[in-house]
Formats: sequence, C-alpha cells, structure tokens
Amino acid sequence: MKTHTCTVSFTLNGEKKTFSTRPDEKLLDLLRREGYKGTKYGCGQGTCGACTVIMDGRAVYACLLYAMQAEGRKVRTIESMGTHDKPAPIQRELVAAGAVQCGYCIPGIIMSATALMEAEKDITDEVAREYMDGNLCRCTGYEKIWTALRRTIANRAAATPAKKTSAKGGKK
Amino acid sequence: MKLCEFIRPESLAQARAALRKLGPKGLPLAGGTALHFMPGKTPVTAVDLTGLGLSYIRQKGAFFEIGAATPLADIQRHRGPRWAMHEICRRISTHQIRNVSTIGGNICRVFPWADLPVVLLAMNAKMVIYSGKLKEMGADEYFSSQPARLFRGGDLLAAVKIPVLKAHHGFGSVKAARNAAAFSMVTIAALLEVNDGRIAAARVAAGSAIPFPRRLPSVEAALTGKEPSAGVFRAAASLAGNDARWCGQEGMSAEYVANLAEVSIVDALERAAEFARGRTE
Amino acid sequence: MKRHELARHLKQVNTSVTKIDALQLALGKDSYVADFLPKDALVIKMLWSPHAHARIKKLDVSKAEKMPGVKCVLWHGNVPRIVHCTAGQGYPEPSPYDTFMFDTKVRFVGDRVAAVAAETEEQALAALEAIKVEYEVLKPVFTLDEAMAPGAPVIHDEPEAHVPIPIVYEPKKNLVAHVACEAGSFERGMKEADFTFDETYETPYAQHCPIEPYTSMAQMTPAGRILITTSTQVPFHCRRIVARTLGIPVQKIRVVKPRIGGGFGCKQEVLLEDVTAMMALRTGRPCLWRFTREETFRTGRTRHPFRIRLRTGVKKDGTITAIGLECINNTGAYGGHGLTVVSCSGGKTLPLYHCDNILFDGKSYYTNLPVGGAYRGFGATQAFFAIESLMDHMAEAIGMDPLKFRQLNHIRPGEGSPIFQALGEGREGLPMTVGSNALAECIVQGAEAAGWEKRQDWRKKTGRYRRGIGMCCLMQGSSIPDIDMGAATIKINEDGSFNLNVGATDLGTGSDTVLAQIAAEELETTTDKMIVYSSDTDMTPFDVGAYASSTTYLSGEAVRKAAADAKRQILATGAEMLGLKAEEVHCEDAHVLNADGSKKVSYSDIANYSLYQKNQYQIIGTASHITKKSPPPFAAHFAEVEVDTLTGFVKVLNYVSTIDCGTAVNPALCEGQTEGGTLNGISYALTEQYLFDETGRMRNASFADYHIYSMRDRPPIKAILVPSYEDTGPFGAKSVSEICINGPAPAIGNAIYNATGARLNEFPFTPEKVLKAIKAVKK
Repeated sequence: MKTHTCTVSFTLNGEKKTFSTRPDEKLLDLLRREGYKGTKYGCGQGTCGACTVIMDGRAVYACLLYAMQAEGRKVRTIESMGTHDKPAPIQRELVAAGAVQCGYCIPGIIMSATALMEAEKDITDEVAREYMDGNLCRCTGYEKIWTALRRTIANRAAATPAKKTSAKGGKK
Repeated sequence: MKLCEFIRPESLAQARAALRKLGPKGLPLAGGTALHFMPGKTPVTAVDLTGLGLSYIRQKGAFFEIGAATPLADIQRHRGPRWAMHEICRRISTHQIRNVSTIGGNICRVFPWADLPVVLLAMNAKMVIYSGKLKEMGADEYFSSQPARLFRGGDLLAAVKIPVLKAHHGFGSVKAARNAAAFSMVTIAALLEVNDGRIAAARVAAGSAIPFPRRLPSVEAALTGKEPSAGVFRAAASLAGNDARWCGQEGMSAEYVANLAEVSIVDALERAAEFARGRTE
Repeated sequence: MKRHELARHLKQVNTSVTKIDALQLALGKDSYVADFLPKDALVIKMLWSPHAHARIKKLDVSKAEKMPGVKCVLWHGNVPRIVHCTAGQGYPEPSPYDTFMFDTKVRFVGDRVAAVAAETEEQALAALEAIKVEYEVLKPVFTLDEAMAPGAPVIHDEPEAHVPIPIVYEPKKNLVAHVACEAGSFERGMKEADFTFDETYETPYAQHCPIEPYTSMAQMTPAGRILITTSTQVPFHCRRIVARTLGIPVQKIRVVKPRIGGGFGCKQEVLLEDVTAMMALRTGRPCLWRFTREETFRTGRTRHPFRIRLRTGVKKDGTITAIGLECINNTGAYGGHGLTVVSCSGGKTLPLYHCDNILFDGKSYYTNLPVGGAYRGFGATQAFFAIESLMDHMAEAIGMDPLKFRQLNHIRPGEGSPIFQALGEGREGLPMTVGSNALAECIVQGAEAAGWEKRQDWRKKTGRYRRGIGMCCLMQGSSIPDIDMGAATIKINEDGSFNLNVGATDLGTGSDTVLAQIAAEELETTTDKMIVYSSDTDMTPFDVGAYASSTTYLSGEAVRKAAADAKRQILATGAEMLGLKAEEVHCEDAHVLNADGSKKVSYSDIANYSLYQKNQYQIIGTASHITKKSPPPFAAHFAEVEVDTLTGFVKVLNYVSTIDCGTAVNPALCEGQTEGGTLNGISYALTEQYLFDETGRMRNASFADYHIYSMRDRPPIKAILVPSYEDTGPFGAKSVSEICINGPAPAIGNAIYNATGARLNEFPFTPEKVLKAIKAVKK
C-alpha cells in the first residue's frame, strides 16, 4: 500500500491554513518544514516536551501527533507569542529571572505555561507542577523557570479586577 | 505501523464498517500515543475515532459513564462525590500525554505497564462494546486476556462504566514509580466494602510488575470477613505471590519487586479502608 | 547577595545583566543548527553495530547506493584510513589515537558501520537496511575485571593505535592510561593512624541528556571550502580533527557554532562532523546529521564509570594521616578522555584536605561498552563520592561531627598541595597555592540554611519514613594552566558600541554575556554596548572551547586584556582630541575625560574621529591568554532526604548548594549553573542508570526509561553564592559550572546514613540497594 500525499487544513496561529502532507507525517515535521522552527525536536518520542504546541487549548506533543490529527483544529506555536518589542508576559519573566540558559526547552515550556494560564484560574503549586511535568530541562534545575512562572501567574492575578465578594449588602 | 491513509467516519456504525472492511490493515486511532509502541512498517489505514462523540463523562444512575475517546486529562480533572478515577489518572505519564491519550486507547490494547486496567478491575467496571449494537462486559471477563482480541473483527469500545462508589465502600490505589512520569514498577488498586468493622467484600488488583494485570484472589480471600487492620492487611499481602509472578523491573530483582508489591498492597488497602471509613452514605 | 569588598566598585561585573540571547531564544527565533537547514539538504543516517565486539568480514553497499534518493554511502572501503582521537582537547592530545572514520572492526553496540546520505530520512533508513554486513563476532569485554584479566580479548589490536605524547598506553592489556604519584609516605601515614579504613566504591554510567541531541550540518561554500555548522563545545578542535580525518588542509574548513541546546561535556567531542563534512564534500550538497535521542544514549559519550579503592588513616584528634586513592575508570570502546578524567579524579580532589601522606594511582581501561567522554565534573564527581562518603565514616569513628571534621581539615587560603604539581592532565601540573578560598564561610552559610544543628543521630530515629541530613565539601579547578589558550578581539563602532569576537563557546551557559560584561567593565562602558560574536573559526580568534571550567577564568582574562588594549587606544585618541597627554586623561562612563571632568569626549565622538576624521585608524584590541594556575572554586552542599524504610525509596526534601566562585560575574547565571548542575547530580545519584542486555546493548535508551527529573520531581534547591576575590582571575572570578554536580551523590549518601544507618558504596541509590543496606544495619 503506497503512502500518498494528502492535505490537512487547520488554524495555525490564528490563520486558516492548508498544507500538503502525508498520512504518516508528524505534526512536528510539518511545522518545521513549513518554517515554524521554534518548535523543537528533542526526542521524537513524546518524552521531553521540546515540541510542545497548543491544540484546541491543550498542550500536546507535536512529535507524537500525526499532522492529519490536526484537521479542523486550532494549533498554536511559539511563533504566536510575543515579539522583540512586545514579548508575552511569560517570555518577559523568563528572561528577567535568568531562566533561559541554552533555551532549547523554553518554547515548549512557554506553550505549556500558556495552556496552564488559559485553562486554570486559581493555580496552586500542585496544579502548576502537573501542567509542567512534560517539559524536561537539563540546564536550569527548573528553579528560575518556576520563579518566572509563579511571578507571571501572580502578576496576572493582580491585574485581574477583584470580583464583588457578596451579592447582598457590603460593597467591596 | 506506518499510516498510509486517514479516514474520518462520522458514526460508530461507519467506523465499525470501515474497520471490518480493512481488517488487519485498519487501525482505530484516538489519541494515537500507543502507536509509538507499535514500531514496524506494516501499512495501515487510520480510522479516526475522535469525531464520534465518544468524549464525555456522565453520571447515569449507579454508574459513571466515560466515553472511550475521553482524554485522561479530562478524567483527571473531573471531580465529584463517589468518583475516584482522578487519582490514578494524574499519575499517568505527563500532561501532554494525558491531554491526548484516551481511556479507550489505554485499555483496548493492554501494555504490561498499563495502570488503568488495574483500577478498572478493582472497581468492577463494565466495558461497553459496540458490535453493531452496544453490549456490556464486566472487567473480569474483559481483562481475562489481551482485550485486543475483542476488537479484531472491527468492533469498538464505546464507553467504560464505573460503579458510583456506594456507602461503606472505599477505593485506594498505589503506583510505585521512579519518577512522576515513569512507567509504574507496580500498580495496586483495591476496593473494600467495610461494614460493622469487618471487610464485607474486597477486590484487589495488580499490574505492571506482572506480565498482565489481574486480580489477586488469595489476597481478597484473606481479607473477607476480617477486620481492616494493619496486621490483616500484611498477612493478606504476603499471599500475593500465590497469584502473581512478580518480574524484575528497572534493573531491580524480582525479589525486590515482590517486596515492593506487598508493601504497596498494604498501602492501597490502608487507603481504601480510610476512604471507606469516611463514607457513611 | 553580598559583594566582596574588592568587587564593590564593579559596575558591569557582579551584576545580573540580562543574558544577551535570552529573548531571542524565548521567542523561538532560528537559533540552533537544525533551524538553518537549507531546502536541498540531504539527510545522513548511520548503520550502527549490533555487536559489542566483531570484525567486519564483508560489507556490501552496492544495493544501498542504487536506492531511490541515495546520493552517497560511506564505509571503510571508500574513506581514508586515518587514525585519530575524537576527544576535543589541546594538541597533541593526551589520548590514544585509536579511532577511524570507519574501521573494519566494531567495538561497542552503537559503533559506526556505514553511513548513507539521501534526500529524505525515509530513503536513508531504507538504504541502511539494504547494506549487507557479515561479522565475525568476537568475545566481548564487559567489565573492568574482564578487561584486566590476563589473556583478555584485545579491543584495540590495530597497528595504528598509538599515543602522540609520551604517556603510558598498553592496548594489548586494554590499558588506556596509568598515572601515579605519591607525596610523603602513604605506608608511614597509615601506621601513624588510630583508625584506618579501606573501602571500595563504584560509580555508574550516565548520559548528559542535552535536550538538543547531537546535530551537525556541512555544506560546500561557493569558494569550494567546507562550512560546518555544528552543535559543538570545541569548534577549533573540530576543525583540526576534521581536517586530519578527511586528509585536507585546515584552511579548507570553517566551523561555526550557532546557539546550541546544551552539552555538559558530551559535545566536547568530534563525533559527527567528519562524516557530515565528508558527505558534503562527496555530494556537493548540504548534509544534516542529527542523532535521535536513542542514538544520543547509545553512541553519545557518557560519564566514565569508576571503581575506587580509598584507604585512609585518621587520628583521634581528627588529623588525616594518610590518603590512598586508587581510581580505575572504564573508558569504553575508545580512549579519548580516559587519561584526563582519571587524572582529574585525583588532581581535583586530593588537595581539598590537609594530609602529609597521599598516594594516588589512576588507571583507565577499554571495554566493549559505550564510550566515556567529558562530563561536567570530569572524574572529580566520581572521586568525591568516595572521599566525601569516607569523610563521614572517619568522623564517626573518632566521635566528631562530620561538619567539624571537615572544618578542621580543609585547605585554607594561601596553602598549597603537592598534588597540584604532581597531577596535571597528561603531564605534570603546576605548583599552586590557593588564593581565594571562602570554603569556611560556605560551610557555615550552608549549614545554617540547611538546618544542620537540628540533625540527630540515626539511632534515635523511628517510624517508616525517616529523615536525615548529609553534607559534603567540594573543589574543582578553573582552566588547564599552561596548556589551554583563549583569545579575543574587540573593535569600536561609531555609536560607541563594540564588536567583541571570541573563540570561546557558549553552550547556553551564557558565556557570551559574561564575556561582554568583562569587556564592558574594563572599557568603562555598559554591557548593552557589546555585540558578541563567538565560535567561528574564520571570524573569531582561537579558543580551546568550553571545558575544564575555563571560559570565565581563561577566556574572560583574554577578553579583559583585549579590552584593555582597546582602552589604551581610546585614551590616546581621546587625549589627542582634547589636546592633553594620555597620562592626563582616564575613562569613565563611556567617556574620556581629564581629572576634574572639565574636558571630556564620548566614545562615540572618539570613534567618529578615529574612523573618519583625523589620523584615521580602527581602534581594535586583541589579546590571548594562558593561565598559570587553576584556582579551585569551593563548595559545601547539604541534602535533606526522607527514606521509606519499607521500600527503600528516597526523596530529596531540600538541597542547599553553596559556592565560592570568586567574583560571580553574573550572579543569576551563576545561580542557574549551580541549580542546574545540582539537579543533574541529584538524578545521577538516585535515578539515572545504563541498563545493558547480555549482548552489551544499552536497553533503556529513552527518557521514558532513563530517568531525569521534571518540574514535578524536583526538590527545592537553594544556591548560595559566597563571594571571594581571586586576584589572578578577571575582576576576581574563578569558575562555577562543574563543581556543583559533584555534591549530590555524597551528600545524599551521607543523608541516607543519617536517616537510617545504612551506608551505600555505590549508586544510583535505587530502592533495592537502599532497602538491602537498611536491612544490613546493625544497631
């Protein structure tokens, strides 16, 4: 049975795209081939997290997913995050904390952190660790990554206007 | 496995028809994470199951029903009284895997390290299989041997039904692993019914450290009718070797793993008993 | 962080300046080798040996060569047979030349057999399957004892194998290296002791696990030279070694290192570039060779396993009367780092404690197993497990607190050790007295942060889960004196910015930033005025590369001197512009000004003047540096653990890593190095291991089966920088990145003892080993 080329259409970083692919092509290979090289190959086996992208709001390993599994979905890569002039808050905090050493794990870490902050409101340490447990880093020992992550979460919570505490009486 | 084609059926019936037609050249695909453990170049057509409405968690009477294509992350996040599935799910692999890997994918083809079969055996879950119509199969029968045997003809797993935990029932599980993401060295799950200070019923299952997940009848027999004390648990756990042929893991010996399993059985029973004690309705 | 007195005036150095490339990396911009792949690049795949020890009787690539998409197949029959060493070190290397691009013999499961370059990965892999090989399987050697046994199979029986400098090398006995030295008399010292000890320790394999696997790309330039873009720690050694193995002049090769995704020592090796370059040369196409993660585990370099026999004598008053350290390392199938690692196991550890009678014997042996390479710590890691475990043992015998025992005996500032001269790397070292040394303060601060005073004897502990605290003291070195060299060039631009070109290699360590800070400090300007370009053999001056904890101490001093050179020119031109003499002006805040500041001119003005207006010339400073000593950083580590006495599982609850690195040029980066190296040491102590099957194949070659810590596993690690000031280093700096990985194995081992009374002489401290040791404890 020969493998033929086919197409896959999905929203990539907010834009509807159609790519030619093959049924056995992994999403990671398609992304890098199409110029989205911020997503990295670290193991190709779904164990290190360097290839993490967000699909329909969930952090996933692009190296394990087939490109065809992205059909009709929304995919976000590191390229959707900030710019030199306007980095995203998590990017700013990672840089400021000294958390970026070799940087190879960092795009994956940023995508997992973004999925965490978009999915969860009150983020305990336990929940944060569970969301981040699929991104390996060998350089930093995670200390400063953790500091940057907690700071980003705290800043976001501080920026969110306080809700009214009670429906009856008592203004805030 | 090498994917040569991708088809997206729109109903269970269509999916089953496609798989029956493809035979060994067809591969049901939900999250697809298990494909990594099936190397080789056999050409297959992927039959995508994610568009069939099989991702849900609902309570229906005395059961929680989990659609077969429900990602583990959703099971991990679900909370509710008399629900205990989240505890084991949060300990399986990593976040990105849990977001994609489904309960169906974990139990339709059982790998030796699988945790979910152990839990489902202890909970006496029922598997809902679609073979043109839906029929239920209890966990004991379903896991009596490699479940993949049930799906060779194109049948599909549609859902898993987990009994709502009744009063006086407690569930406990232990997964001993080197790191948070590591495959289990031994997984134990226990469901106890404790009435009037005595164990009325016990279901204890083990996996990972043995070739295939199974219940431990010798352990269960040594618990039934006794009081839920540490001494009883230890005595029961020491009989586990009658049922299970423990294997060396991670470079550690089978003797060590047997010891680890027995300690884990006691820990799981303690948890189940604790859980049962707190649940009077 | 408190500043050292002598560092108080520093403006750019000793400040946590933002890492120059951090934002680029956080944005995911093209940075690493594989990001620069041209569209027409070929993919290289290698056929690896399935046998640990075999001769290749027949190799038929004819079918593979004709397969679709295949452009070139390399094997021993069509490449030059040039013996060399793959280890990235100074030349001539203190190593056996025992490697060929492709040989007629394979020596470990994962050794090279033949390589294919094809249009796609699929085509390359298909071609590998079409290569027919007939092996004559030979008896393998899998342990040190098997290697040392009389009549053992000879792994390197090729006539070409030799050593380029006069060092011991006996391949017929599988002996790769032997160094020995004695200070005083070990025998006499043992006789003087009240207590003597004789323990044997074993340390395991480990892989560095950089998240970017080995990756290398080569392409022909329009001028017909070979451009190698590669993930390397040693671009200049790479160029030299590739030139040798291809039989072409150095002039024809350019090696460029872009950003790389970690190395930790495994990329101090020319492991891919010869084949990548040869493929580019033969096909005329760009060629990419990227190891899979599995290949990185099996064929990539590893840490050397060691067997260590440590004998010591101690008096009741705490005097250590004798130390006899015998280290044997297993260097695997090729010997590149065998000698240097075993030399450092003594050279970088034995000076730590006062002792008049020290005996060292170090040997390295071949086996048919994965190849030991350079790995952060480089032999000191392994030896400190033995030494620091036995220190606790000795302290207990004489009834002294292990912390006080160490405080009593460690080397003080101004002291020397006969070991510094006796043990270099491949040749004699240099005599040295220790200048900066804040170890005493490290111990005090670490003990306080770790809660040492609440420590209790294990005999008082009960219950299933028991906690303990353990400690260790450490040293390392900074650069290889008299052997390694680094150089730098710095030139001014119109806006007062500078181009700083250095050979020095940033692995993600942040050396580009650190070197920019040093240059800016010397030049009295700010770090953000530096444009750093590094590690390009055409464009940057020479540097040995990133190893031996050299970059700050050696390359940093070259940068400082180059900046000082440029500064002299700036002062001269500034004086000219102001109509003053050079002695009447000084630099401050990117200006040249007179003593009372009434006359000044900016660097930008000076640049415009000198580039365009009068007596035009390019202000450019150049300097090289070799070091005359290797001043040790010092550290004291403290680990708190909890042991499950029913299962043997060990959890690290808390870890404190103090470090005296001299002036911390960039404190945040120093903390980052310390935190990262410490966590690596923790998983090395507890969960990392190489499991082999009976054929010598490493069977847990993936992150699923080879366990390193995630954010969910990590214990809190507190890095405490304790300032000192090293007069011989740039602005007082020494080094920071290796020493931290040496601590966890002994600190955790000592903590397990404090929790349970169980001593372990080997690690990883698997639950089985811990449980066995607990059961063997006699109260």
